[in-house]
Amino acid sequence: MKMRNFLLTAATAFSVAAFSVANVDAAELGDVDEPIRLAVNEWTGQHVSTQIAGRMLEAAGYDVEYVTAGMMNMWQAIADGDIHAVMEVWSSNVSDQYGVMLEAGKVEDLSDLGLDAREGFVYPLHVAELCPGLPAWEALRDCAAAFATAETLPQGRLLDYPADWGTPGADRVTGLELPFKAIPAGSEGALIAEMRASIEKKTPLLIVFWQPHWALAQYDVAWVDLPPGEAACYEDASWGPNPNAVNDCDFLPSRIYKAGWSGLKNKWPAAHEILTNYRLSAEDQQPMMGAVDVDGKSVEEVTEAWMAANESSWRPVVEAATR
Amino acid sequence: MTRISSIPFLPSLSSLPSSSLAGMAVLATGGLCLIFASVFPWLVVFPEAWSLPMSEWIGVSLTWLFELIKPAVRLVSFVLEYPMAWMNKGLTTTPWQISIGAVTALGWYIGGWRMALLGFLGLGFVLVSGYWIEGMNTLALVGVSVPLALTIGGLTGIVAYEFARVRNVIQTFLDIMQTVPTFAYLTPLLLLFGFGPVVGLIASAIYASPPVARNVLLGLQRVDAEIKEAAIMSGSTRMQQLFLVELPAAKRQIMIGVNQSLMAALSMVIIAAVIGGFDDIGWEVLLTMRKAQFGESFLAGLVIVAFAILMDRMSARLIEEGARFDFRISMGIFAASVLAWLAGSEYLPGASEFALLDGVAERVDSGLGEFTAAQGARLDEIKNGAMFYGLLPLRIGLDEAVLPFTWGFQWDAGMSALLLGVAIAVALALAYRGRPLAGIGLVLAAGMLETGIANLPWPFVLAGASALGWVAGGRKLALYAFLMLAAVLISGLWERALLSLYLCGASVFACALVGGIIGLLCAVSPMAWRIVRPVCDMLQTIPLFVFLIPVLMFFQIGEFSAFLAICFYAIVPMVRYTRHGLVETPAELLEAAQACGSTRWQILRDIRAPYAAPTILLGLNQTILYAFAMLVIAALIGTTGLGQSIYLALGQADVGLGISAGAAMAILALVADRLVQGFARSRREALGL
Repeated sequence: MKMRNFLLTAATAFSVAAFSVANVDAAELGDVDEPIRLAVNEWTGQHVSTQIAGRMLEAAGYDVEYVTAGMMNMWQAIADGDIHAVMEVWSSNVSDQYGVMLEAGKVEDLSDLGLDAREGFVYPLHVAELCPGLPAWEALRDCAAAFATAETLPQGRLLDYPADWGTPGADRVTGLELPFKAIPAGSEGALIAEMRASIEKKTPLLIVFWQPHWALAQYDVAWVDLPPGEAACYEDASWGPNPNAVNDCDFLPSRIYKAGWSGLKNKWPAAHEILTNYRLSAEDQQPMMGAVDVDGKSVEEVTEAWMAANESSWRPVVEAATR
Repeated sequence: MTRISSIPFLPSLSSLPSSSLAGMAVLATGGLCLIFASVFPWLVVFPEAWSLPMSEWIGVSLTWLFELIKPAVRLVSFVLEYPMAWMNKGLTTTPWQISIGAVTALGWYIGGWRMALLGFLGLGFVLVSGYWIEGMNTLALVGVSVPLALTIGGLTGIVAYEFARVRNVIQTFLDIMQTVPTFAYLTPLLLLFGFGPVVGLIASAIYASPPVARNVLLGLQRVDAEIKEAAIMSGSTRMQQLFLVELPAAKRQIMIGVNQSLMAALSMVIIAAVIGGFDDIGWEVLLTMRKAQFGESFLAGLVIVAFAILMDRMSARLIEEGARFDFRISMGIFAASVLAWLAGSEYLPGASEFALLDGVAERVDSGLGEFTAAQGARLDEIKNGAMFYGLLPLRIGLDEAVLPFTWGFQWDAGMSALLLGVAIAVALALAYRGRPLAGIGLVLAAGMLETGIANLPWPFVLAGASALGWVAGGRKLALYAFLMLAAVLISGLWERALLSLYLCGASVFACALVGGIIGLLCAVSPMAWRIVRPVCDMLQTIPLFVFLIPVLMFFQIGEFSAFLAICFYAIVPMVRYTRHGLVETPAELLEAAQACGSTRWQILRDIRAPYAAPTILLGLNQTILYAFAMLVIAALIGTTGLGQSIYLALGQADVGLGISAGAAMAILALVADRLVQGFARSRREALGL
């Protein structure tokens, strides 16, 4: 009897606790009269992610404003509360200012978006003929000459990220002791232009690239198989094929996350919760990107269709926060 | 001079002109560096321990200052948002029929049917391109920033005129405003003014005000003394003299400033789009550029060209006090447009629904791809040729650039000795024939080609710049060049500065050569000028980003692409000024020459060319400044050097690096500017102008 009583009490307590958790989950809407401003950066995938988040906020009863913002230059604006949130930040490609602002407590990390990113060395398919050992990375040792250009002779040429995104290509060239020279690209447009030109001209190209990206859907490319990336590889020189250096492995998967103004939580608690719990997978995003960039549809059209068809994946997030 | 001739041991040297002495000094410095380079490596690479962490100091002190003045500045940006929003609302909500009607009507009033047609076609193009809303956003930005620039610039010009003591300071300041790359001051503006269109607004106002200030000053200085005296005699106060007499008398010159200010604001608005915050044409160009869609970004760029041509021609027309056309017809055109709106708005599509040119854009884009595919091998040949035989030796010198891979053989010390030996022999021959300066120049050029600009020892560069300063403008200019470059040296940016110097030097040289020839051609044949002129207009106003795409597709990321992009932009003033100088030779001189029976070629070589030399030098000066301006944008195609540092600083919000690299770039540009102006002045004096 005692035992049963105890169980009953425990069960009641548990259910009360569970109920109250659900209750805590549903947050106040906050100031619904003022629009929430979301940053629109320079690439289509981000437009898609942002537009869906915006529609979710609208479904919750908020007013949303989209503000175009350079991805490198927007952090001051987010810290000042001029822009309230940004939906797709790539850890491989974020301004140093973000770290400073995060430490100062002016911006907040709103958890992962759920896109699986991949970064690595990529080559157009026709290049496999010029360097038959590909996609094994060891093949690059012997066919560097095929990738050589006027500026890099006698080494091969590896097209690296723009200098302001860091130098992952150059780091790996050193780590793996490849006879290549990494040339920074300057801008994303420059990377794409090179890829286009290489495919049109059937010239050799080895390039540092990432997915999800519309270009991978449009052009036939393949990834180089580098030694698998592990955290140890970046700290322990003895790890990996080169016993004397770090960075002798593939990229660690890059983190793609959301970030916001630190005042977001107090001003619009429910919106803060929606944005924190919002997820979008690469399988969902990539076809939408293709529909925009390859088929020429508008972002609004594409996201509206997706939201109508996938109500079950986003509606619960909105309801959990508002009800 | 006097000091040297008083030394008894150097009697033969004292008979040489001072320019040759300066050249000898540079030669001696270079020789010493060459000999001692292996013993003292610090002669070639300036030791890091000697340089001051200027970027850090600037960063720390500016961040402190910014925190201090931020509240006041944010207030300004808050206030400015209002006119911005009004202008934007007004322009984007006005029906397009009425906007086009109003501009056409204005065109008729100031310039008859030609201007009316220009206005109609210009805005009509914006409409059918599908970028109407974005275009109006851009116009709104220009519409607020230009009045701001006119106010600031006008007041600055008046102050400079009224108070002679501050004039020099103000002029230096104007020089700095125009030579510091615009990317460099976006970072501090962003931190100060917060986010959004106001930053672009302030940036373009800063960039657009110096031309106004300069022209106000120049206009006031040129007002006839009689007019000024008349005002004084009529007993007016100083304020009355200024505002009722002198400023109206200077109107023409001031309007030229207004015209230049409009153009500057328009070009800056595009660069400011990098920050975002405003859905304008610049943003559109950036988006399409990121996808490497040349056709689309070219189309968006042409919208800017349409605006620029409209503003340029119409404001130029306003300067001319020619007859105005019938105002009633203007009213009629406007009324017709209102009617068209009232009657037809249900049948005609909305402003941004026109996208008639999308097909064209796509075709341009795919055409570019096909061309690249078809001409790939030839394009690579061109690039390799230019790299192997031109750019690489210039950057790293023959001793490093000549390899079995590139030239088919290995350069060795013997070849260096041979090259220098031949150069010295020829130089001695030249000196013997009375042209010592040419001989010294030849040896210097051979030495520089052997070492490469990026590897030049710093004492040699400092000595060379000072010597050029000495020849161009005496001791003061020599000291100026020396101190300015020394500042770059100790700031730790020297290596990057040399890379920038090399790329700019190569581009300026190519522009001077090719631009000079095109200018000459245009001077001789009016037909050629009719073709070249619109191309020049387009190159100067289209957002420069647009050209990066085809250049990249053809020649890939690298120095050759950057070199070409810089040349595209910087060649324009060379063409314009060369033609202008050659065409403007006074008729009396030409007649006299013809009377003497000179052939056309003789007239060109002996009369027109020397007479045009100062103007051409001015063109060269502009070309140098343009090349430096473009260098930062070329960082988008992956150049190294100062441009890249400035671009990096913008991304990382590193104020210190942005400002110090921007200042270093401005210093290089200013020194080059002063040197060329010095030469131009001495040429003018020699011609008695």
